[in-house]
Amino acid sequence: MTNSLMQVTISPGKVPVAAIVVLGLVFAVGLFIVGFDQGHIFSIAFGEQAFEDMYLHELTHDMRHAAGFPCH
Amino acid sequence: MLVAGATAGTIHGLANLALVEPYLDGAIMIENQALFASGQAEDTPEFWTEYESYRIWQKEGQVLASAILGTSMGALFGIVYALSRDALPKGGDLKRASVLAAIMWFSVYLVPFLKYPANPPTVGDGETVVLRAVLYLSFIAITGFGVVGFYQVYRRVAKNRRFVAFAGYAALVAVAFALMPPNLDEVTIQAELLDGFRIMSAVGVTIFWTALAIILGTLWQRFRPDSETKLEQH
Repeated sequence: MTNSLMQVTISPGKVPVAAIVVLGLVFAVGLFIVGFDQGHIFSIAFGEQAFEDMYLHELTHDMRHAAGFPCH
Repeated sequence: MLVAGATAGTIHGLANLALVEPYLDGAIMIENQALFASGQAEDTPEFWTEYESYRIWQKEGQVLASAILGTSMGALFGIVYALSRDALPKGGDLKRASVLAAIMWFSVYLVPFLKYPANPPTVGDGETVVLRAVLYLSFIAITGFGVVGFYQVYRRVAKNRRFVAFAGYAALVAVAFALMPPNLDEVTIQAELLDGFRIMSAVGVTIFWTALAIILGTLWQRFRPDSETKLEQH
């Protein structure tokens, strides 16, 4: 009969570049939606009308003021 | 990182319901009175029914937006934490995350807030919103990347000369304060409403950064996403 021993080795690894890129995209897109969109994203599907409706602006309106983003 | 950010963001949104929304309601009521006075809207039961429904939707949107903003900031915080963890003071991840959160709260929130403080509705012309956004982001870039730059100075100078890095950062912020244009829009609402709103806004954002540090630090300590784990059989 043989005895086996499992050894767990935890060592510092490099931060994957792909993870940094994905997180960077999440940061940029999320920040734009919540803080700065004035109809831009929905204009891709709905054209100029999206800049009149400003759906995301109105939905995130209170957050923009509360978090200090420029609003009106 | 994203779970930590979304959770902290939701906490921020719920805190804002109690802290900030009463001030937003007060400011929007001023806008409504201006609409009635100018004839753009009529003070009718139909108006108020529609208004109440709209405000409930916006308040729900505020919590959703907080979760999205939290996820976004959690991603940024995670990137910075992963890259700077070894440079942060020795200790557990909760301690390190708290130190980084304090630095980021100061440099990308508090200092920009002092230059371009949050304003409630009725303050802010829609015509200037893009320019104000550019100024706000530019200021955050200066104060945020300034920390990165002067940290490099801090690392390279002798221990007894590290004050140079702090003095340099203070000088950078002072120059940015002096040279960047002030808020473009005139503030016309009552000081009590304005001050109350700004204080509660700052409290809400501070709650967010505190929650983000605690949640991310705890999760990092538990899961160690920056480490490679090997199972070896002997």
